[in-house]
Amino acid sequence: LFCSTTSRGSSMKAAVLIQRWYRRYMARLEMRRRYTWNIFQSIEYAGEQDQLQLSSFFTFMLDNFTQLNGNGPDLISQLLDPVVDPWLDRETCYNLIHVPESYTGPRLSFPLSVADTNALLSAFKDQQTLHARYVLQLLYETKKLLKQMPNIVHLSTSYYKEITICGDLHGRLDDLLLIFYKNGLPSAETPYVFNGDFVDRGKKSVEVVILLFAFLLLYPDYMHLNRGNHEDHIMNLRYGFTKEVMQKYKTHGREILQLFQDVFSLLPIATVIDGKILIVHGGISDQTDLDFLSSIERHKVSGINQLWPPGVRKNNFLHIHRQLSSFFVLVNTFICFTLEQIVDILWSDPKIQDGCSPNTFRGGGCYFGPDVTQRLLLQHGLQLLIRSHECKQEGYEFCHNGKVITIFSASNYYEEGSNRGAYVKLGRELVPRFYQYQVSRTTRKLTLTQRVRAAEGSALRALKEKLFSFYICTRLASGRVSVCEWALVLESVLRLDLPWRTLRPHLARLAPDGSLEYQSCFEDMGPGIPLPQVTPNLAETLFRYRTDIEIIFNIIDKDHSGLISIEEFRQTWRLFSAHLGVAIDDSAIDDLARSIDFNKDGSIDFTEFLEAFRVVHKLDSKDQQLHEKMDGEKRTG
Amino acid sequence: MAPKKKEEPKPAAPAAPKPPEPERPKTPEFDPTSVTLEFTPEQIEDFKDAFQLFDRTPTNEMKITYAQCGDLIRALGQNPTNAEIMYVLGKPKAEDMNSKMLDFDQFLPIHQHICKAKDRGTFEDFVEGLRVFDKEGNGTVMGAELRHVLATLGEKMREDEVEQLMQNQEDANGCINYEAFVKYIMAS
Repeated sequence: LFCSTTSRGSSMKAAVLIQRWYRRYMARLEMRRRYTWNIFQSIEYAGEQDQLQLSSFFTFMLDNFTQLNGNGPDLISQLLDPVVDPWLDRETCYNLIHVPESYTGPRLSFPLSVADTNALLSAFKDQQTLHARYVLQLLYETKKLLKQMPNIVHLSTSYYKEITICGDLHGRLDDLLLIFYKNGLPSAETPYVFNGDFVDRGKKSVEVVILLFAFLLLYPDYMHLNRGNHEDHIMNLRYGFTKEVMQKYKTHGREILQLFQDVFSLLPIATVIDGKILIVHGGISDQTDLDFLSSIERHKVSGINQLWPPGVRKNNFLHIHRQLSSFFVLVNTFICFTLEQIVDILWSDPKIQDGCSPNTFRGGGCYFGPDVTQRLLLQHGLQLLIRSHECKQEGYEFCHNGKVITIFSASNYYEEGSNRGAYVKLGRELVPRFYQYQVSRTTRKLTLTQRVRAAEGSALRALKEKLFSFYICTRLASGRVSVCEWALVLESVLRLDLPWRTLRPHLARLAPDGSLEYQSCFEDMGPGIPLPQVTPNLAETLFRYRTDIEIIFNIIDKDHSGLISIEEFRQTWRLFSAHLGVAIDDSAIDDLARSIDFNKDGSIDFTEFLEAFRVVHKLDSKDQQLHEKMDGEKRTG
Repeated sequence: MAPKKKEEPKPAAPAAPKPPEPERPKTPEFDPTSVTLEFTPEQIEDFKDAFQLFDRTPTNEMKITYAQCGDLIRALGQNPTNAEIMYVLGKPKAEDMNSKMLDFDQFLPIHQHICKAKDRGTFEDFVEGLRVFDKEGNGTVMGAELRHVLATLGEKMREDEVEQLMQNQEDANGCINYEAFVKYIMAS
């Protein structure tokens, strides 16, 4: 008995020791998970700040309108080309497009039947692409349908058992298929509301949005779509949808994109259930007026190039149009107000404190507090606001004392294992029930540790790319700084609110004297192709604003050929750098233009040019090959 | 003289041994003012950085809840027991854990105290501890037995915590090589 007491005692000691170490281990894992999340979110929001930069560049362009006018290519009209009214019927000759016998994908017949949607589902599961002819026809029919819809769609649970509401999908076909698998396809028994952001970021935006539109056409009474802030052609230029369409549809891509633009602007902006539950993509502001929103012509807002930076609204507009008639100004003030109302709905985020402030991170909309929610709900006799727009770790989140639900349906949004997706179901009693899921990329189940490690690796890599663009320009002579200085500089230059000191071990080495070896951050990184001969100033600008420049070039490149003329390049570049306040003399720009006109034919392949300013990770090529291999296996497997 | 009372075996077995006492048993309440801070300024900056990561207040007030305190200390690399944490927090009530807050200046002496404590448990201690369960003396322990111990003894772990810990550690026979296991736990 004495022996067993001793061994019990040592079992106890052993247990406590293991438990202590386990708790330490979990706390450290949690910290890694937390800063990984912060990194992804900060970078995402910083990207959206850059979008703000772009919008203000367009403002700047308008300001300089008279200077450019008559001086070479009319960039202004190119960039800010008044959009063809989406209400008008665009010329679509889809029926003239020949579908070859060799095409084995779905051949849709309109009006659509269940056979068509089933064909689409299995085709997309098999990695097939829908032929351009059917895409165009589908979009054309969708546009016709949407024109008949009001801005705010009212639903009643007296017709349905339960309504399912899904959030952002962002081109994640796997998540959509998983939802359909778990919850059922759209039907009279299973009505759906999809709350915007169907496209961008994910690689299957085309397939996702085609499926949603197909079900919309099939069951217009049971399928409801709200517009999100990514249903917008300017956003699509930055976040990947435009590129995806052009890659999948080389011949008809432009036409398809134009129709998408029309369809997006015709999507309803809100759904109300039983007069009690409001569903919008982003949120609300203290100016939100649902009656006003019901009455406007929503299709007039096609893209955020019509927007101005928050906080600089009406004044700026008047300033821009100072040369035009006062009547025009008056009309435009009204349009401006309309734009603001829609932008608020599509872009706003809830915050914890009371009040309403401009949403500077996003570049549009507001941060709205619980008091704003309360007031709006009361005003319209509502009891709940359901919105999406923000990624949540569990796929959903309550805030504002349970009056606001965020629902997000793209699992693993930042990285494999980063978050779950969710959808919410509402029955007659209007009590929300949540269903969560997570798409898994590998068939082998990853442990928590493996998931955290993978996500962390991905986050750190993205962060280092940000650092690299900054490094090119700073050229610190000694290459050594104190940790304190390093953290301060990064914080101010990158404007990313992150725990730099905690991240430091992953980013830079310490020298024996405790100072930071600056270059050690970037040993395994380099530019995509050898840098053209440029001054450091120019290099920095090109690195940092690479995405913006790409967007501008894409806008100029109307026929999506990948080429722009040297003159266009020069003009744009000059303007952009003037706007940024970066002093770059004309000869530097000319040299640059000439050096990148690789075949000396007066036109520039800007994709190739920008390749130089993409950051690659030198040790990565093996990883990349492995990833590609895994992707390939996943497709066939 | 009354006869000596014979010692009879008590009808009920004595209670199981108490959980281990905090590092400094029988001292009065923890007094933060008695702690001398020995951290370097660099270390303090590092702690502040991590503290901010845990700060969930809406206006970034640099405060954390009592419940987060243990997690933060562990995230910074220490491995106190739950009892030690409760001790330095002044043995708060369960309902206070999520409502009472600590700011950074209050956190420092608490953290310092934990850092100074001896007997952290080395690799060898750990291995020795696990050797207790090595019935066959062959460097492995039965996963099932370890799970049982962790869930029933000491500062008990929940089933999902045990599962988390043991994920992918057992071989086909349900055995764990404990040296490897210890290395895994002690790695960051």
